[in-house]
Amino acid sequence: MGRLSGASKPITHIQLGRAPYAPVLDLQRDLHALRQCGACGDVLITVEHDPVFTVGRRGSADNILVSPERLEQAGITVHRIERGGDITYHGPGQLVCYPILDLREYEKDLKGYIGRLEATIMRTLSRFGIAGDRMAGRPGIWIDGKKIASIGVHVRQWITMHGIALNVDVNHDHFAMIRPCGMDVETVSMSQFGHAGLPLEPVRDAWLLEAAAEFGWCLSLEPEAAWSGVADV
Amino acid sequence: MSEESRDEVRLPDLGDVGDVVVVEWMKAVGDPVAAGDDLVEVETEKTTFLVAAPSHGRLGSIRVVAGGRATTGEILGEIERG
Repeated sequence: MGRLSGASKPITHIQLGRAPYAPVLDLQRDLHALRQCGACGDVLITVEHDPVFTVGRRGSADNILVSPERLEQAGITVHRIERGGDITYHGPGQLVCYPILDLREYEKDLKGYIGRLEATIMRTLSRFGIAGDRMAGRPGIWIDGKKIASIGVHVRQWITMHGIALNVDVNHDHFAMIRPCGMDVETVSMSQFGHAGLPLEPVRDAWLLEAAAEFGWCLSLEPEAAWSGVADV
Repeated sequence: MSEESRDEVRLPDLGDVGDVVVVEWMKAVGDPVAAGDDLVEVETEKTTFLVAAPSHGRLGSIRVVAGGRATTGEILGEIERG
């Protein structure tokens, strides 16, 4: 299935702006549970997190290269979560998107879903004149062997959670405190490719356009306050 | 235990994913399980997927332990109905 000409799948967009990790994780988990029992439709959360390292199900805290004291000084918290993959960083200047979808209404194909997420990122980068690419066996988007976007997903009863993180203009000193994905990889931001000081909002809007086209979404924006009771965001 | 009283837990078709890694069994052999319970978690393509129990009973055996690899349709374990 490729880009759809008509938007046919309604999806609620919760645009959180800057937010700490823990309450947004609670919100994701609540919405994921509600989606499983059919109490809500598909939901998309977009957010810019406070600095945090997240460790996936098969990840190891050994890939944190600095002391707990150094993490505390930098204001970085660590969370073990249910997504696939190893360790990654979220923080200011990074666009994070969490689609909570029933894949039975799209394709029951995990690799296909990851491929479609990757396509939305590559097309978003292209809008800014940046050529990102896939790397065989290493989900995410790369530029000359350096990682610009990460992907990690969890699926239960074919309902997705977690998603993508695109480096717009992040603090790479924070990335240097870990071995991203458990590997010795360098990371880059869009701002390093002729877009110094690039803010998040135009990138988010570009990704929303590309994701809506890819998945056939008809987005309806929910004010943040409407969800504040779900997980005290 | 006759074959008629056992249900195979097979890796469902997750699409064009090749093989998966078994991350964790959520139940131990002998534990009671209900149809639809989260039974075993697998990972592929940076995605974790929870495989649900196909029937009620007890987890009778584990064929692919945590860390092992499996392909679509492969028997991961068995449930003893009851």
